[in-house]
Amino acid sequence: METKYIIGAVVAIIAIVGIGAVVLGGGSTQHAPNELVACVAAHGEEPEFGFDPMHGWGYHDSGTEPLIQSTILKRDKDNNFVNDLATDYKISDDFKTYTVTIRDDVNFTDGSKLTAKDVAFSYNTAKEMGEGADLSSMKEAKADGNKVVFTLDKQDSTFINKLTDVGIVPEAGYNNETYGQNPIGSGPYKLAQWDKGQQFILEKNPDYYGQEPYFEKITNLFLDPDAAFAAVKNGDVDIAEVQLAYANETVKGYHLEYFDSIDVRGISLPTQMDTGKASEDNVTIGNNVTGDPAIREALNIGINRQALLDGAFNGYGNVSYNGVASQLPWAFESTFNDSNVDQAKQVLATAGWNDTDGDGIVEKNGTPAAFSVYYNSKATERQAIAVAVSEQAKQIGIDITPVGGSWDDIDPNKYSQGVVWGFGSADPFEIEHQYDSRVACVGYDNSEGLNDSAVDALIDQAMTQDLNASYSTWSQAAQKATSNYPYLWVGTVDYTYFVSDDLDISNSTHIIYPHGGDIWGNIYDWKRVNETQA
Amino acid sequence: MSDLPWYNRGLFSSLNLRQKTLLTIALTGLLLLVIFISGMMINANLPTDFSIKMQPPSFEHIFGTDWMGRDMFIRTIKGLSLSIMIGIGASIISSIIATILAFVASINKFCDSFVSWLIDLFASIPHILLIMMISIALGKGAFGVIMAVAFSHWVNLTRVLRAEVLQINTSEYVALSKRFGKSKLWIAKEHILPLVLSQIFVGTLLVFPHAIMHESSVTFLGFGLSPHEPAIGIILSESMTYLAMGAWWLAFFPGLALLIVVLLFDIIGDNLKRLFDPSQANN
Repeated sequence: METKYIIGAVVAIIAIVGIGAVVLGGGSTQHAPNELVACVAAHGEEPEFGFDPMHGWGYHDSGTEPLIQSTILKRDKDNNFVNDLATDYKISDDFKTYTVTIRDDVNFTDGSKLTAKDVAFSYNTAKEMGEGADLSSMKEAKADGNKVVFTLDKQDSTFINKLTDVGIVPEAGYNNETYGQNPIGSGPYKLAQWDKGQQFILEKNPDYYGQEPYFEKITNLFLDPDAAFAAVKNGDVDIAEVQLAYANETVKGYHLEYFDSIDVRGISLPTQMDTGKASEDNVTIGNNVTGDPAIREALNIGINRQALLDGAFNGYGNVSYNGVASQLPWAFESTFNDSNVDQAKQVLATAGWNDTDGDGIVEKNGTPAAFSVYYNSKATERQAIAVAVSEQAKQIGIDITPVGGSWDDIDPNKYSQGVVWGFGSADPFEIEHQYDSRVACVGYDNSEGLNDSAVDALIDQAMTQDLNASYSTWSQAAQKATSNYPYLWVGTVDYTYFVSDDLDISNSTHIIYPHGGDIWGNIYDWKRVNETQA
Repeated sequence: MSDLPWYNRGLFSSLNLRQKTLLTIALTGLLLLVIFISGMMINANLPTDFSIKMQPPSFEHIFGTDWMGRDMFIRTIKGLSLSIMIGIGASIISSIIATILAFVASINKFCDSFVSWLIDLFASIPHILLIMMISIALGKGAFGVIMAVAFSHWVNLTRVLRAEVLQINTSEYVALSKRFGKSKLWIAKEHILPLVLSQIFVGTLLVFPHAIMHESSVTFLGFGLSPHEPAIGIILSESMTYLAMGAWWLAFFPGLALLIVVLLFDIIGDNLKRLFDPSQANN
């Protein structure tokens, strides 16, 4: 009997000491000031194929900083193009030939020289693999001395955006299966170590030709959201990207930084009627409820977006009525307001949707206004959007069933039911992906099946205009598309980080955050500042 | 007075042991039934109210509220009723499978070794793994989870029943019936089934706690149901995210409620065993 008590007491003491050590200790792991420990990669996710731009590393809806590789152009804080590998570029008048001069003083980290041939090889391979940047309009890239000539199949003034999208890999010895583990690039950092599922470690590239970053070494951890927040609380990391749910917490020694993004969330509303049509991959197209424009309009004007943001995004976001974030040059004012429940009901009644059986849900010809909205169950903000929209929609008499699942569960329903999507690119070509009827129901393009020839014509027109002039045409195309209410856009989501008080991440020089964007864009300006806290 | 054991004093002193056992079964059964029925009447899409999100327990929301402002008490009850439903489905199906297999084993040597092989096969695969595989193969959802739990929990009961049936088969009255020319089916129906019925019944009830625990583990791991649907496992896995923020009530109450429900089933099972099995009545 007594031994039992003794054992129990010992276990209790060990437990208390253990818990106490975790709670009180929490001493931050020691590292030199010029070493950075982060937990921030895009959405905290590990790149499946490693750090291979051919597999999409460094590309998230538009180019982001690949760290290990260089790109032809980069974006600056004002979203202008600046040279990286390029010294100069020329665009032909018909926007079918882009000629880029490549600087000749750049070496890969294995000592070999980066040439125009490597650039051409990278673009041709990226097009062939089709996993990252959209190079569909490119015919081929060819090296010509220290120049690379991109020949396009069609006129495309947005192609200059693609020059930011592909990290350059060496042609010699490139193997798309092994490169990701041992990447050789010419960027500011080189990969020192990658522990799959745990972390990657970058070391400064001593031969880097551009602005030298302050940090010698970057360790980036792959942690689950709760573990990331726990790491912040323990002081184990200098900077961590956290879910919006944690954004209102306060942690000693850290402060919250949040950045507006162009990463917008919205629910696609299939615009076609279900006539038994199926896409090439045999997925049903169309929905007899959302196929009625009145349903789509009623949802768009009846939903309270601000309430959704305050709830689902903890207030960290900006309302969007049309899916184009206000920072983009082709942004436009919405033609409608929301939260008009009465007006929404009016729209439904005018179109013949009435509640005849008194269950609170409107019907038309015996069909109740009911459909499903699918969301990726890993993304809590998408779950909150689906659930909250479903609830708000009941007030205007529309019955939405939220369904959570993996993309494998969503794919068979992506053209026939609502889906919570994330979009956001600094490249206006995204409008083509979203609304062009010629790519309707292909992959994740135009999943709502919008078929509006005026939109198609405006897209074609914009592609043949000078990029700066084309923004207004792109804007018109988006406006024309939005007048069909193909989506229920909700808002852009902020990117929130807990940053150690002794770390300066140069808030004023961040580049634009596209969908899935990351914070590395201005790593050159980060530095450690004197510890101010006691 | 004072030499009476504690359970024979006070309010229930006039009841004998049998009546007390019955009373225990009736009360726990009633409690579970209330949880089950009230849960069934709750719409799975609970109302959200972001203005009251993440509130600690209060008189208004005795289990607190979650990150979408949903009442955790209602969510927990709904989750428990789902667990009970899955438990009922799974334990009934498991017992049917177990009974059939036990009788199949008694047909002849070959059948017996086949059933033993099947038992060993299923027992050698970790439950959770088996459940995940079956649930994915059957298209996830509540149906997939019920089937998965059902098809992985017959093993223990089958083993017990098989031994029981083997033992009865060697008894003298069965041998006598055989010599009288009674068919195997007749013997199974008239001699064996009545004797193992109590085993089956108790076995069914004792599968319940396992089934419920496994259901919550599977939903905890994200298999089966949508994350906005209230299943205990989903509630608990969701609470992990918010524990770091100090929202202890999201895990504490649902976890405790799950524990209590499992214990209640265990109590019913144990008491039933006492009723049916006279040799254990004095335990």
